[in-house]
Amino acid sequence: MKTTLKYFFLPLSLFFTVTISASFISDSPSGKPFPYKSAGLSDRQAAAHLLSRFTYGARPGDIDAALKIGLEKWFSQQLMGDLADDSLNLMLKGYNAINLTNNEVSKLYPNPGQILRLAIKDGIISQDSIVQTGKKDYREQLKGYMLQKGFRPQAELQRQLINQKILRAAYSNNQTRELLTDFWFNHFNVSLTKGQSAEFIPAYERDVIRPNVFGSFENLVLATAKSPAMLTYLDNVTSSGTPESLSQQVNPQVQKRMAARASMNIADTAMRAKAVAKLQQNKKTQGLNENYAREVMELHTLGVDGGYSQSDVTQAARILTGWTVYPMENGYASAAKNLIERIGEQNLEKRGFVHEGDFLFAANRHDTGEKTVLGRKFPANGGYEEGVELLKMLANHTSSAKFISRKIAIRFVNDNPSQKLVDNMSAVFIKSKGNIAEVLLTMVSSPEFWNKEALREKTKSPFELAISAVRSLDADIYQPYQLFTWINKMGQKIYSYQAPTGFPDKGQYWINTGSLLNRMNFGLALASQRIPGIRVNLAAMNKNREPESSEAALVTYGRLIMPERDLSQTVDRLRPMLNDPELQKKIEVAASKNAVPETSATMVDPGVVMMDGTKEKQSAQGSVKRNDGKVLAMSGSNTMLAQVVGIILGSPEFQRK
Amino acid sequence: MISRKAFLKSGGLALFGISMGGIPTFLAEAANLVQAPGLFKRKKILVSIFQRGAMDGLMAVAPFGDKYLQAARPGLMMSAARTADTNPLIDLDGRFGLHPSMSSFESLFREKRLAIVHGIGSPNNTRSHFDAQDYMESGTPFSKGTSSGWLNRAVGLLGHEATPFQAVSLTSSMPRSFYGDMPSVAINNLQDFAIQMKGNPKGSSQVSKSFEDLYDQTSSGLLKETGKESFDAMKMLKSVDTKNYKPSSDAVYPNTALGNSLKQIAQLIKMDVGLEVAFAESGGWDTHFNQGKDTGVFARNVTDLSKSISAFWTDMTAYHDDLTVMTMTEFGRTVKQNGTGGTDHGRASCNFILGNGVNGGIVHGNVQALAIENLEDGRDLAVTTDFRSVFSEVANRHLLINNNKVLFPGFEGKGIGVMRGG
Repeated sequence: MKTTLKYFFLPLSLFFTVTISASFISDSPSGKPFPYKSAGLSDRQAAAHLLSRFTYGARPGDIDAALKIGLEKWFSQQLMGDLADDSLNLMLKGYNAINLTNNEVSKLYPNPGQILRLAIKDGIISQDSIVQTGKKDYREQLKGYMLQKGFRPQAELQRQLINQKILRAAYSNNQTRELLTDFWFNHFNVSLTKGQSAEFIPAYERDVIRPNVFGSFENLVLATAKSPAMLTYLDNVTSSGTPESLSQQVNPQVQKRMAARASMNIADTAMRAKAVAKLQQNKKTQGLNENYAREVMELHTLGVDGGYSQSDVTQAARILTGWTVYPMENGYASAAKNLIERIGEQNLEKRGFVHEGDFLFAANRHDTGEKTVLGRKFPANGGYEEGVELLKMLANHTSSAKFISRKIAIRFVNDNPSQKLVDNMSAVFIKSKGNIAEVLLTMVSSPEFWNKEALREKTKSPFELAISAVRSLDADIYQPYQLFTWINKMGQKIYSYQAPTGFPDKGQYWINTGSLLNRMNFGLALASQRIPGIRVNLAAMNKNREPESSEAALVTYGRLIMPERDLSQTVDRLRPMLNDPELQKKIEVAASKNAVPETSATMVDPGVVMMDGTKEKQSAQGSVKRNDGKVLAMSGSNTMLAQVVGIILGSPEFQRK
Repeated sequence: MISRKAFLKSGGLALFGISMGGIPTFLAEAANLVQAPGLFKRKKILVSIFQRGAMDGLMAVAPFGDKYLQAARPGLMMSAARTADTNPLIDLDGRFGLHPSMSSFESLFREKRLAIVHGIGSPNNTRSHFDAQDYMESGTPFSKGTSSGWLNRAVGLLGHEATPFQAVSLTSSMPRSFYGDMPSVAINNLQDFAIQMKGNPKGSSQVSKSFEDLYDQTSSGLLKETGKESFDAMKMLKSVDTKNYKPSSDAVYPNTALGNSLKQIAQLIKMDVGLEVAFAESGGWDTHFNQGKDTGVFARNVTDLSKSISAFWTDMTAYHDDLTVMTMTEFGRTVKQNGTGGTDHGRASCNFILGNGVNGGIVHGNVQALAIENLEDGRDLAVTTDFRSVFSEVANRHLLINNNKVLFPGFEGKGIGVMRGG
């Protein structure tokens, strides 16, 4: 019965998908064939180019598959971003942390400071014992406490976050959605290096960025503005109006009392210091913080030359006072918690507060005065709504249209996109009220995207290089974190770019003397199975046919790994090396060792060592085995075939996309 | 302007020319630019060390006679007087005492090569490690969005041609100080600078040659150029035995992260690869708990810091005129000890500057009596010297950079005389 039902609905859902994507294309202004023919590209060349920009690299067979359904349709499917991802979901099944809400994360993965406070509060660790006991005892005590309370180390959360990004990039069928998730995350950058925001980053990527990557830009700006990750990263969480601008004091009596105590001539120095410090602490929470307001203009919307002044920044910051994080159960933002308890959740709205998920508009901290930003007046007492109005105005501003369009073109076309292309894209941005999918479609429908000058012009970032290498070899990832180690070594510590600018998007940033050799070493290590937990089967890529010679190996694998690239020069250049008789011998040895059936024993994952030295259970962390009857081709770890493939992956051609 | 490549014609280069049977192209090209041998001038080198976690400046360099400090830190205070059970502070000038574990700094201070700036910090009063480090490294204490780091801008302002090793950070990822448009290298270990094929040396030289050929023919200018530099650099590093490096003058580096970083910086300097701005890190300064006095975690940290720097200085004897070493930390710690034998996040700290051009033997800055009314926010050593005053002075005097508007946008302040002739 169940099966029948499923089959009954299948055609229906297919029908819907087709209708929606079809109408998407015909409704858009550029629903015509992509203009690659006039740029002199063949269908296959065009497919290779399109996939090199809108996937993390083509897997064997991907280009043919895209050609089969048609490039325009392939792209519109990608812009829908809703292809089934069953095998990926299976791999992610064991990743329990990445689906938690921020509140659940704060309970399960408290940061070290919180754990200590709780341990002291619970009397497990006395303050005196910290002073007396050695560091090791103290660590043991804390560890025991964490075990007892069921707390997990935050390193585990971060590891899962990193691993899931790698698996999604490598295996998701919705490649463009993952690319755009990376793009917008980097645009609205937050960083694990800031402890206060680190725990909020999994939910940030999952709920704030990924669902909004093709929608309206305005939604992205609003969603990021209200997210705990951004509120903490750029400090708006503590921003409030000056005392005279607030409508309601937190508690005027308490404040008066404290001020009196501080000014009194208290003999006890320590007591007085305490009083002064408390007053200061209180004052500290009553100050304007302009960080978010400045960066939302400079980096997120208008751009640094977008025509705003320092006064606009200050006024915008005043508008956004009171935008903060709703208290978490583990004690995060406890001051607000007390306040909310006093007012009563049911009375929040009446008092002008707004509570939406993790977001809190704290009306008592909002500057109630009149403000003017970019010439637009925001009358007094605008409350929460004036912030929304401000962000909508910024998101749809002409400067934003240009700034965002240029940034997208730099990401997907070349490092210096033509003004004409950017102008066309920003016109569509404005007309569509910032519809990102339409802007992307306009870009890909432009001759500039297919121009021969644009081909292979972008340099892969280390993350893109690693993922494209894995995809081009159709490798199996059992320990994603091993790839992260390499990606970091090549210069891109994902989720940890400290500045709100995000990683720069230009070739010069990625290619330097320190990183280039690491890229070559990565290719060699991957191809020769020297990266633990990443398995490749080079023979299977060529249907278990041995190449006749090393030169043939280079030609064959070069074509498989870099389809539609002219590799004749590469082959010419390497011919002397390849014809080394010793090399021939080694290849034969390698080939004879091919086709060793893979036993389940060799599939057992060695496990990843956690930060605290314990072993991570990899089976629960995504080591889903592929039951596609693959065989292990490379039993030796240093065969000449691996060497050839390593050279291809480390070659300058492969660094480009 | 005098070409600073002139040094390449001197001894250092010849050393490599012989030992490796070929001069790295980037060095040879640079050497060819030299018109007049008489203009020989070695370039200056700045080594910056970031002490992450916020060093307790009041314990490193304590105003030991301050009765308020004594009262606020009953469990942490040391005395300069010799007693039976603890090592005394090293009395620097009758007012300030150096932590006993930094005894290797004493002679440098007496020789007037080591200066201390006390009460140094950021005008932004954030007590968040992240924010304070970010502001200090970007050099813009009120702007988060500054895309570059101050050392990267310093490199840009050197205004002469460079080798790929002009700016090197001995860290696993690029520090915020180095973010920016000028090329810089972040490398954890010089030995990583090679094509790695485990247990297959023949294969690795074969593969290395293949890569070199491929990068030489690529149509991408960026990949071609960087490839060439990478292989040149690799060959050069291969020519010296980085693994079995013997420091000169019997310098003994501690076997710590910082010790190893400085040792590798020393190697790069001796190789004359064109290093001008180096960066290293030291961790573990966030001493909320059980900070210790003359023993314990803080003592271990300052031992590492002072011994690493002293060893580096000893090792670099032939380069003293070209070198300045400067430490920095994001903020200081509370005057009062906390309930767990440590100190919490504060405001001002102190830093150390070492070099022949340094106005040493002096504790610079302005530290008032630590009475509550003199403390910032009633609890912390007040910031009386903007870190940019000191950083810019070092850059101006030592690296001869004279564009502080670019180096520290929005900063109008002046130096405080930590460098000679200032």
